Amino acid sequence: MTRQRALHMATWAFSWLAPPSQREALLGDLAEEYSHRANTGSASAAVRWYLQQVCASALPLLWVRVSQAGWLATAGVAVLAYIAVGVIEFIVDRDIVASYASDGGSFNPLSMAITFPPVVLIGYFATRFRPNAAIVLAAMMLLSVTVMTVWANEIMPLWYRVAYFLVGPSAVFLGSAFRSLRAHGS
Amino acid sequence: MKSRPEALGSLEHVVLLAVIRLGSNAYGVTVRRQIENATGRDISIGAVYATLSRLESKGLIESCTGEPTAERGGRAKRYFRMNAKGEDALRQTHDIIVKLSAGLKGLEFT
Repeated sequence: MTRQRALHMATWAFSWLAPPSQREALLGDLAEEYSHRANTGSASAAVRWYLQQVCASALPLLWVRVSQAGWLATAGVAVLAYIAVGVIEFIVDRDIVASYASDGGSFNPLSMAITFPPVVLIGYFATRFRPNAAIVLAAMMLLSVTVMTVWANEIMPLWYRVAYFLVGPSAVFLGSAFRSLRAHGS
Repeated sequence: MKSRPEALGSLEHVVLLAVIRLGSNAYGVTVRRQIENATGRDISIGAVYATLSRLESKGLIESCTGEPTAERGGRAKRYFRMNAKGEDALRQTHDIIVKLSAGLKGLEFT
């Protein structure tokens, strides 16, 4: 990898890690110090210093981002959204799928198909309130699906297990993507 | 009733002292260099900003944006300065250190 390419990639990683409110000042400080070192010492030492700074800054900057994101509020929105998903699944399984499926609807794709659009909407609104709530909600869904598949009394078909893992989080991310697109468009 | 200012963490303490020492020229690069010169430690710019950001959210320092310069790739500096609350916190931390170190055998502070 060339020196320029390494610097370019490090700058990209650094600007992704930096909190938006401080990004410009941080990148400017890094550029100023790098330029000072490159002018007064060797270019390779300056590049080494730059890469080392980016690596050493990763954890502190991530911590700033997390603390500025208001994670308590994000977790609160994610929990409310998770409850809403549970209520919808319960209603769909009890009132709609059970009346159409002859086998009682245990592993019915109809349940997933009907639940998908409301979960997209939930992902949409969760993102509208807190930008990171969809990620937390998807993580909660994956965790609960893992727990359910491990401790389920009935043996689930493989297709159902795979679909169960993919459908919920995908719906949430789809809703979140719609919201992000709309927010950037307006 | 005036609330008691909170004591500072060790890096917060060092960063705040560097900000005072630098006066109107306190921004990321100079603060980092000041700490590096005083401690001999190569501290990361991310750690400096994380601490400055914490001090700002505690209301101990204030920041403002400066002019962009060519050597920074056209990016503006962010200047920091301590306020009255920061001064109280610094005094409180200094008092704690003085009280805890007073009378310790083998340790002499000027």
